[in-house]
Amino acid sequence: MGSNKGVRNLFIFGSLFFFVILIVLTFDTLSKLPGRAPEITEDVNAGKMAWHKYDCIGCHTIFGNGSYFAPDLTKTTDKKPEAYLKRFLIDPKSVNPKASMPKLGIMPEEADQIIVFLKWIAKVDTNDWPPKPILAGAAGVGGRELTAGERLYQSSGCSECHMINGIGGTTAPDLTHIGNTRDKAWLFGHFKNPPAYTPDSAMPAVEASDGEIEQLTEYMLTLK
Amino acid sequence: MTIKYKSQKIAESFYTFSILLFLVQVLVGIIAAVQFIWPDILILNFNTIRTLHINALVVWLLAGMMGATYYVVPEESETETWSVPLAKLQFWATVLAVTAVIIGYIWMGLSPQANSLVLGTRLLNEGREYIEAPRWADILIVISVLLFLFNNFMTMLKTKKWTGIQGTLLGGLTVLALMYLPGMFYTKSMVEDQFWWWWVVHLWVEGAWEVIAGALLAFMLMKLVGVKREVVEKWMYVEVGLVLFTGILGLGHHYYWIGTPKYWLWVGGIFSSLEPIPLLIMVWDAFRTTREARVVTNKAGLYYTVAHAIFNFVGAGLWGVIHTLPQVNKWTHGTQITTAHGHLAFYGAYVLLVLSIIYVTLPALRGVKEFNSSRALQSFWWMTISMVFIVLTITGAGMVQTYMERLMGLDYVAVKSTYNLWFWIFRVIFGIGFLIGVAIFVKDYFKIGKEPVSAAERG
Ligand code: HEC
Ligand code: HEC
Ligand code: HEM
Ligand SMILES: [Fe+2]
Repeated sequence: MGSNKGVRNLFIFGSLFFFVILIVLTFDTLSKLPGRAPEITEDVNAGKMAWHKYDCIGCHTIFGNGSYFAPDLTKTTDKKPEAYLKRFLIDPKSVNPKASMPKLGIMPEEADQIIVFLKWIAKVDTNDWPPKPILAGAAGVGGRELTAGERLYQSSGCSECHMINGIGGTTAPDLTHIGNTRDKAWLFGHFKNPPAYTPDSAMPAVEASDGEIEQLTEYMLTLK
Repeated sequence: MTIKYKSQKIAESFYTFSILLFLVQVLVGIIAAVQFIWPDILILNFNTIRTLHINALVVWLLAGMMGATYYVVPEESETETWSVPLAKLQFWATVLAVTAVIIGYIWMGLSPQANSLVLGTRLLNEGREYIEAPRWADILIVISVLLFLFNNFMTMLKTKKWTGIQGTLLGGLTVLALMYLPGMFYTKSMVEDQFWWWWVVHLWVEGAWEVIAGALLAFMLMKLVGVKREVVEKWMYVEVGLVLFTGILGLGHHYYWIGTPKYWLWVGGIFSSLEPIPLLIMVWDAFRTTREARVVTNKAGLYYTVAHAIFNFVGAGLWGVIHTLPQVNKWTHGTQITTAHGHLAFYGAYVLLVLSIIYVTLPALRGVKEFNSSRALQSFWWMTISMVFIVLTITGAGMVQTYMERLMGLDYVAVKSTYNLWFWIFRVIFGIGFLIGVAIFVKDYFKIGKEPVSAAERG
């Protein structure tokens, strides 16, 4: 035993030394956190409580930590409109029949609070995580000049929900062959007022001039 | 061979409880894997199944370590456990609390509204991974662990034989208990929530638990091949020392992207890349010691012990270090790469550790000198080959996910449901292979010492 005393003491005091450094860094970090995120209101906290209540972390990640069964929610509110998210949270399949997120029984006011909470999350300074996809250009149209309709499609965030040729979101119908199934009048009218064409539609109306919507419709009709 | 002290027998109760939960863990794990393909296959959603999977894992490993401690401390202290009734009480209290918590998870899974707020805390599920157990259960767990520590410290005090092994073992266990506390209070900030959550998770698996593993490894090497205490203990101190010197600040590798300051990229990157070093020393230690062995009566024990050292290094060390630098982690963070590492690390570092200590101590507990090791080796290969393939499968899925989702910007669900579909199918198949290995192990556990060993089967 005796001859190991030195190495034993090195183990004990060395570990304590590193632990003390950790404590110092912890104090420093805690003091800097408020400056790296917006203020936490009552609603943000209520949203966080609901987040824990339904065990969202059991399927999703947030800040990249959690379960890997469902998408990361750090920046969701930057991508999807509030009204859409609210409907999705309350009843996912009413928005997207293929959704595998179950109906958890989230109440409307809880959905509002969760969205406020997720908006808070989206504003936290995460040292630029998640990173912008560096190969996204490769998945584009390969050098060809975009048409006006295509440009509007890209700038309006349609691809957050819809997919064309494998690129885009999965929470709304795939538009790869939409030109085969819908005609001009339907598309135009639907863009201006989705619920008038699809009962209970969760798609946000397109905010653009009639001329632009016309161009968007033309683009849709080319997708066959 | 029989146990030297009657009270060591209590270890067996913990082992039995432990491996029953192991079986539960693997069964629900297979369900979780199937849910990646068919999410609605069961009334219980994925989150509930996963909660059961990871909680069963943590609890059975802890129960195994407790059993090991009740075996090791009397042996090292050369006396009976301070209080056997207390140990029994602590055992049954643990079984009861764990059962209540499991019922609570299932109840919450069936009706989420039942997870109501009582005295400011959630009644059934705290909604934080690994530490889902509600606050009332946290308190019971802490009491149980305190009783356990108290009992073993009292045993040590009886003879005051301060051996390095039991000192390190109980030191690791004390830190383990202390590091549960940072997960026991509510914070309004999700950033702070994750900050303290990682104290629990990281300082457990890369701190306290690894110290316990170092102590048990030393004990097993001593028992298996009869190396001198002085030598094993010296290397044990080197190993657990380096574990903590690198692992404590290695915590920073979880503070890159959760809203904490940027200096953690440096602290976490530097210290966590050094974490594999002590794990490599453990491998070398295991090989060096066992090569000198002349007569080995417990072949299964030796096999598992050496495998534990190797896979601790591969799973925790190698599969950990590949994504630990911030420049890499930025792209792989929160993908299936993490899952792959989590599986191989837990398997190598702790599943094999608990199974080794069971094989090393069980013959004495059952009062036999030798046992037929063929089933032990069979289950080892079923489990290990299956686990290696599970991990390769998920690593593949993680590479595809990192490339398509993180680098190309494709949609999460699209990657999961189309590009990665075959990986999920293979994972289920290898999962069933793993279950076969567990079933053989469970059978072996109940048979050892209860069937005659013929001369031909020995060794
Ligand atoms: C059983 C697993 C599960 C649970 C629990 C769960 N989700 Fe989901 N969630 C999913 C899946 C899977 C998706 C991906 C879309 C789909 O297939 O439904 C999703 C999608 C979402 C989306 C849409 C993301 C997007 O970009 O369109 C939001 C928002 C969301 N979940 C929020 C939550 C919140 C908040 C909770 C907790 C109250 C929660 N989820 C609990 C599985 C789950
Ligand atoms: C927040 C999600 C979301 C966004 C953003 C969105 N949509 Fe939709 N979209 C939906 C949903 C949900 C449906 C299905 C309900 C419906 O038909 O209205 C839908 C339906 C459609 C349809 C009809 C598909 C069919 O076969 O019935 C078209 C066409 C369409 N969207 C085009 C667009 C375009 C173009 C944009 C961009 C200007 C866009 N969407 C933006 C959610 C979205
Ligand atoms: C000793 C046993 C270890 C175990 C049991 C273990 C287990 C785990 C688990 C389960 C996770 C995922 C946590 C979650 O659910 O979010 C994780 C994450 C991680 N581990 Fe380990 N680990 C061990 C050692 C190590 C070591 C030695 C390293 C580095 C050298 C390491 C590096 C990492 C990193 C970087 C992550 C974060 C992954 C991400 O960004 O998503 N681990 N570990
Ligand atoms: Fe870690």
